[in-house]
Amino acid sequence: MKSFNEDRIYSNSNKRENREGLKAWLNPSRYGWERISYWLQRLTGVFLLIYFVGHVIETSSLVDGKDAWNAMLELTQTTWGHLFLILVIGTSTFHSANGIRLLFTETGRAVGKPGRPDYPYSPVSLNYRQKSGIWIALILAATAMLYGANILFAGE
Amino acid sequence: MKIHYISGIAALFVVAVHIIMRLVMPFSMSLEYENVIANYQNIAYAVLLESILVLIAIHGFNGLRIILLEFRQNIAWENGVTVFTLVAMVALIAYGTRTIIIANGLG
Repeated sequence: MKSFNEDRIYSNSNKRENREGLKAWLNPSRYGWERISYWLQRLTGVFLLIYFVGHVIETSSLVDGKDAWNAMLELTQTTWGHLFLILVIGTSTFHSANGIRLLFTETGRAVGKPGRPDYPYSPVSLNYRQKSGIWIALILAATAMLYGANILFAGE
Repeated sequence: MKIHYISGIAALFVVAVHIIMRLVMPFSMSLEYENVIANYQNIAYAVLLESILVLIAIHGFNGLRIILLEFRQNIAWENGVTVFTLVAMVALIAYGTRTIIIANGLG
């Protein structure tokens, strides 16, 4: 039987081994749909924060007058600018819809009731409601992107 | 997490109004300088823009803080991440507020 000190030494020497850091965070292949949704929620969140900072800086050209505003618009009102905006529309829709699902999950809704773990040990919390929520978020994002593309490219 | 969910849900509503304002006329027309300045000079819309700025800055930088805290847990890192995200949030809110105030006063 190991002593308390041996346990401490063991845990200290191994404390960094299970830390995969960014590699683990970016690996969507493990743990199924909930993991992919976790991954997408964080990636879309970081992307949208970068976009938001850029948007605040971009719109500040307004205070430098009409010429500065039009020069900034010329940069964004291009095919690539529109494609980027469509990506923003898709990521923000997914982030919002999946965020609402997470809000329900956090408050204990749609996660099922605790039960005896029976073979094949499927987690009760990842039930059809949760999976449907992830799919609804993806479908809404795709629909919003199509709608956005229709508006943005109709003006060209 | 409460602040994250509350700011997220509130931001959803104000951003929806912001997007609808871009769709009340053809999208490219809504971005013309005169129309955008008219938006900023409307006090209700300026308040809406300020609330979007504050809510999304809180939600975004708190989200970044949560992600960074998942990477590593020690007091120096946690305090550093919290201070960094707070300073970045305040700086962005100050910069965006400056745009709203100046554009609101333009003729």
